[in-house]
Amino acid sequence: MSALSPEAASAPSGGTFDGVVSHGNWIRDMHPLNVAVVLASISLLALATPRPVGLVSGCVAFLGIAVAAGVGGSFARLYAKLVVGVGLVLFVLRAAFVHGNHVLFELGPLAPTWEGVREGTTFALVVMALCGALTLYFVLVPMKTFMLALELKGMPPQATYILLASFQAITDLGRSARTVMDAQKSRGIETEGNLWVRARAFVPILAPVFITALNQTEERAIALDARAFNSGIPHTHVLQLRPAPAWERAATALTAAACLATIGAGLLWT
Amino acid sequence: MDLATLRDVTFTYAYAEMPALEGVTLQLQRGQLYGVVGINGSGKSTLCSLLRGLIPHFHQGTLEGTVEILGKDLGEWDAAELSRTIGCVFDNPFTQISGIKDTVFEEIAFGLENLGVSRSDMLDRVTSVSEQMGITALLRKNPNELSGGQRQKVAFASIIAMDSEVLVIDEPTSQLDPQSSHAVFEIIADLKARGKSIVLVEHKIDLMAQFADRLVVMRSGEVVAEGPTAQVLASPAMDAADVPRPEVTDLAFALEAVGKGLGCVPVTRREAEAAIATRMRGTQIHADRVA
Repeated sequence: MSALSPEAASAPSGGTFDGVVSHGNWIRDMHPLNVAVVLASISLLALATPRPVGLVSGCVAFLGIAVAAGVGGSFARLYAKLVVGVGLVLFVLRAAFVHGNHVLFELGPLAPTWEGVREGTTFALVVMALCGALTLYFVLVPMKTFMLALELKGMPPQATYILLASFQAITDLGRSARTVMDAQKSRGIETEGNLWVRARAFVPILAPVFITALNQTEERAIALDARAFNSGIPHTHVLQLRPAPAWERAATALTAAACLATIGAGLLWT
Repeated sequence: MDLATLRDVTFTYAYAEMPALEGVTLQLQRGQLYGVVGINGSGKSTLCSLLRGLIPHFHQGTLEGTVEILGKDLGEWDAAELSRTIGCVFDNPFTQISGIKDTVFEEIAFGLENLGVSRSDMLDRVTSVSEQMGITALLRKNPNELSGGQRQKVAFASIIAMDSEVLVIDEPTSQLDPQSSHAVFEIIADLKARGKSIVLVEHKIDLMAQFADRLVVMRSGEVVAEGPTAQVLASPAMDAADVPRPEVTDLAFALEAVGKGLGCVPVTRREAEAAIATRMRGTQIHADRVA
C-alpha cells in the first residue's frame, strides 16, 4: 500500500515537479486508507465499550490525534460547532421528550427526566463520536487524495469525479448565490439585517442559482468529453501517493487488530 | 483524406423552430487553418459542434445530409474515439474547468491523465504548454478562482496539451486583451505549422486575416463564402454576411472609391504598409521628376 503526498504532485517548482513532498507530520503523511482504518477502528471501539466512558474516550482520542497531527486548532473549532449545532440539539430533544420515572423539573408541557438525560447524553455522544471520526478524517486527508486512493483500489473514475464534483458544487453554489445577492443589493433590495430580512432576500435567489447550476451541467459534461474523460483508456495520475513504509502498515494493522480484539473480548465476556 | 466533408447538411436543435445550420456544403482540407466568421447566431458554434461530433452525440436535434470526419461518416464515429482525435476549445471558459482540480497544473494535466499519458510525459507537456501560453505564474493557483481571461488561457492550454490531430476552437480570445489574443493566435499558427488541422471561430477579423489560410463566412445558418482568406475578405460575401472587413481592407476600398486605389487589396497591416510604401515611393519619384 502506498501513502499520500497530497501537495507533492500539485507543486510544480520552477516548471517541474518537486516529487514526493511530505506535510512534515507522520499522521498527515499516512496513506488515506490507513487513516480511514485507524479512525474507523477507534470509532467502533468507542461504540462498543461501556457508555458513556467509551464514547467520551473516543471523542478525546480524536482530539488527541488532531493535536498530534498539528491540526488541533482547526479540528477543535469545527468539532465545537458540531457539538453545539448537532450534539446539543440532539441531547435537548431526547432529554426533553423521552419519558421516565424520575422527573427533574417541569416547564409547561416539558418534563425532562433523568432517563431522558441519560439517553440524550448517550445518543448525542454516539453521534459525536461518529461525526468526530468523519470530521477528523477530512481535516487530515484532502478529498482528492482520498478519491485517488479509492481510484487506485479500483473505484471507477466516474464515481470519484461525481463525489469530487459534488463537493465542489457546494462551493460553486455558494459563490453563485453571493453573486446574485450582490446583484440584488446593487438594485437596492435589502439583503442585510436580521434573520427575517436575510431569509426573505435569500429564498427568491434559490431558483435562479439552481437553474444556472443545472444549465451548466450539460456544458460541464461536454467539457469533460473534450478532455477525453471517457476515452476508454485506463487513466494515469499526476498526483502520486507516498509509498507507505512497513511500520505504517504494521501500526495500522495492529491498531485495527487491537480494537477488534478488545471489542471481541468485550462481547465474549458479556 | 479530407478533414471534413459536409454535403447539404441541415441541423435543427430539439424544440427549435428554425434550423441552426441549413444546406451547408463544405470540404475542409487537412493541415489548414480555417477561420469561421459570421455575426452572432449565424451558426458558427453549431458548425463547431458538428465538426467535433457533439452533434449528434450530445446535442439532440434533427440532422439531415452527410457529414464525414477524416473520411468516416459521423454516425460511425465512437464518442471516445472522437474525443481522442479532435480537441475542442469552447467559447465559455467558466464551464471548461473540470471543477475537481486544486491547481492549474493538475487542471492542464487532467486531459492527459484521461488519455493514459505517462506521468513523466505529462509533466513535460504541462510545463512546455504553460511556458508557451505564458501561464507558469498561475500553475499553483486554484483554477476555480481564476478570472475569465485566465480561465480561457488555462482551458486552451489544457486542450493543446492533449496534442490532438484536429483542433476545433470556438472564440478562444473572447475574454483576452489584444496582447494575449495575439499570443494565442501565434500559438495556433505554430500548431498549424506542426501539421495540425484547425477550425477556428473568431470575431477578431484582423487576426483572422493575418493567420487563417481559408475563411468560411456564415449567415443565418448558411455558408455564404469559403475560400482563400484574402479573396474572401475582398469579396461582397462579407457585406452580405454583415461581417466587418479588416480596417486596412476598408481603407483600400475607400481609396479606390475616390480614384486613389493602392493597386491591390491588402488584408493585413503588413500588406497595407507595403502597398502604401510603394505608393509613397512612386509619389516621391514623381515629385523629384517634377522638381
